Amino acid sequence: MQKSTIQFLLINCFLAIFIISCGSVTKNYTPKKVDKTTYEAPYFSDATIDYVYKANISVYGNELSGIFIAKKINDTIHRIVFTTEFGNKLMDFEISETSFKVNSIVSELDRKILINTLKKDFGLLLKKKYQIQGQFENDSFDIYKSTDGNRDNYLFLSKKDQKLEQLIHSSKTKEKITLTFSSENNIFAEKIEIIHQNIKLRITLNYFKSEENSSN
Amino acid sequence: MKTKILFLILLISSHLSAQEQKMTTAEIASFKESVNVVSKKIKTLSTDFVQYKHMDFLSKDIETSGKMIFKEPNLLQWQYKKPYNYSIVFKNGKILINDEGKKSAMDIGNSKIFARINKLIIGSVSGDMFDDKEFTISYFKLKGQNLAKFIPKDGTLKKYIKQIELTFDKEEATVVQVKLLESSEDYTRIVLKNKVINAKIDDSVFTN
Repeated sequence: MQKSTIQFLLINCFLAIFIISCGSVTKNYTPKKVDKTTYEAPYFSDATIDYVYKANISVYGNELSGIFIAKKINDTIHRIVFTTEFGNKLMDFEISETSFKVNSIVSELDRKILINTLKKDFGLLLKKKYQIQGQFENDSFDIYKSTDGNRDNYLFLSKKDQKLEQLIHSSKTKEKITLTFSSENNIFAEKIEIIHQNIKLRITLNYFKSEENSSN
Repeated sequence: MKTKILFLILLISSHLSAQEQKMTTAEIASFKESVNVVSKKIKTLSTDFVQYKHMDFLSKDIETSGKMIFKEPNLLQWQYKKPYNYSIVFKNGKILINDEGKKSAMDIGNSKIFARINKLIIGSVSGDMFDDKEFTISYFKLKGQNLAKFIPKDGTLKKYIKQIELTFDKEEATVVQVKLLESSEDYTRIVLKNKVINAKIDDSVFTN
């Protein structure tokens, strides 16, 4: 299964280079005067919490599931572990804004293209500080633009309560990766989806209620 | 000062007494015999389980729980009920998965590693795992319990599991805890309880 998946990923990456759609991500949004210079994302930032989620990964019609664990282990680094339901560790990373370390990965998943994709996804998921260069709005959201190398991140904060509900990582012309967050309190995201626009990859994370929480 | 030393001695000695003690050759033989007698009688087995995933960097273990059902010769269902519904059935060379209602099947056919995993799970729960060709086995005594430690000999298996520890109730000679060690810091501990042996279980249970 893995081999064919990787081939698909490769083929699609090449296809993506040829299929270029036009139009800026922000064409449907109204520009606004920037009201803040920085933004701090609220999720995954508490070092006392074990962030444990049931994970479902859909890649080119193949379904993979397991347990996703993220934990802030110091000021800059998060530990990310993905295990099967039985608890076998499939991958174990340490990630910060500037570093990435593979502690372990099972040989079946040890492919550069997969690791680089996850490195990008988890980097976006855990990124805390954003420098704001532009601001937009639509009916429901205040949208902040933050430059990320030669790409841009667009942060969607609900107008109603300023919750971070969506993060779009895009090139100058096209959305690449979309992260959606469902959060009751804007501290903890109960449900997260990471959707790739140019490859058929979707990661869904559902917060894992522990026994004591579920009995509450 | 004296009380401090006394306290320290008490602490050390209580720690020592809680530790495992190696079995003698005669004890090993009689332990294996009693486990084999019991596991040979097992036609069906169902048990509740609580799984604790321990990882050194987490503040607490990740807890999941559910029910396991086995029927001879190789029907197995492992069903998580909390905090999510996830069930996996091993049946006729197939793995059937039901993940919160989302169903999928995998043909494992002649896959050696899955055959081995299947055998391993059934062996772990029934206690029938004393295969010297597959494992280097060591035997210990605990209070009211016996402990067998299995180190895989096969390289492929060893990559995933460093050691398997089965704890047996001394009286009943059945498995009460399975511990799968990935490294010295990380392990999965599965506690089995409410075990029912040889109740009538219909084959239709093993659908997903």
